[in-house]
Amino acid sequence: MHIQRVAAALLLACVSVGANAKPIAFARGTTVMAEFGAGTMNEIQAFYAPRYWWSVGASWLELQSEDGVTRRRIELARANLLAKRWNLPGAQANVFVWGGLGRATGNDFAGSTLARDVGFQADYETRRVYAAFRSDLEESTRYSHRIDTLQLGWAPYAHDYDTAAIWFVVQGRRYTGSLFEGTETAFLLRFFKGGTWIEAGATRDGKLQAMAMFNF
Amino acid sequence: MNFSKTVAMLAGLLLSIAASAKTIEMEVNGLVCAFCAQGIEKTLKSFPATEAVLVSLEHRLVAVALKDGTDIDDATLRQALTEAGYTVVDIRRTDASLEALRAGMKPHD
Repeated sequence: MHIQRVAAALLLACVSVGANAKPIAFARGTTVMAEFGAGTMNEIQAFYAPRYWWSVGASWLELQSEDGVTRRRIELARANLLAKRWNLPGAQANVFVWGGLGRATGNDFAGSTLARDVGFQADYETRRVYAAFRSDLEESTRYSHRIDTLQLGWAPYAHDYDTAAIWFVVQGRRYTGSLFEGTETAFLLRFFKGGTWIEAGATRDGKLQAMAMFNF
Repeated sequence: MNFSKTVAMLAGLLLSIAASAKTIEMEVNGLVCAFCAQGIEKTLKSFPATEAVLVSLEHRLVAVALKDGTDIDDATLRQALTEAGYTVVDIRRTDASLEALRAGMKPHD
């Protein structure tokens, strides 16, 4: 049971790496994200933003414990809202909130259950430093847990629109609730240019994390 | 008399086209990432008067090259960038081409 909890926590860590990107890229923009973590997680998200301050979309998530015994699928329709933005000379800060509804199935419980997700993110970014804190509360009649994530990023050089960006990111995460209690640290290398974003890294115990995102 | 008026009007029109700015430069706050630039570029390229768009994160600059004989008024540009999620600080007009602006942004040796 303990191993399953740790495996599930690691999987959720992988899930949230991709989610630390902004949930709204730009007005009339589409975001498609695919993530693969440690061979035990697959996730696809797609959002469309009619305006710069809100987007809607859907996510499909499949989790599998390391031993392959426990599997869970969560499918959500989700709406994201930019609650507040500060445009500064050479910097930007944001507060996002979101909510999702859908269903979850799994072989650790019978049938399907109504799944709910609410969360927020506050971030500050320049071309050289990045800080973001987010909190997600995921609930259903079968589970309830919260994940708080802090990311701190540093770019070795200031990128521009026509140059590739490289970021080194340290991530700390705390889990509370029925799934897992504890904290975890991961180190990530983020690369993006234009509308393409690729990120890869590992947790301190060597579990691979990778994500690709496309905005168009 | 009519011929003279016609010639004068055509000359005036040609002079006004020649004198009109080729490029609009905007100083913008909040430009920090490629996604910002991508969204702004997409918005401005949707204008019929837009020939090309240049976004410089380093210089906090968005420049629009206009098609010959066309213009986009300041209010429309401010609204477009506000609705894209950014803050316009200043709008300037210049005869410089985007290539010239781009060349001027390169670091000096």
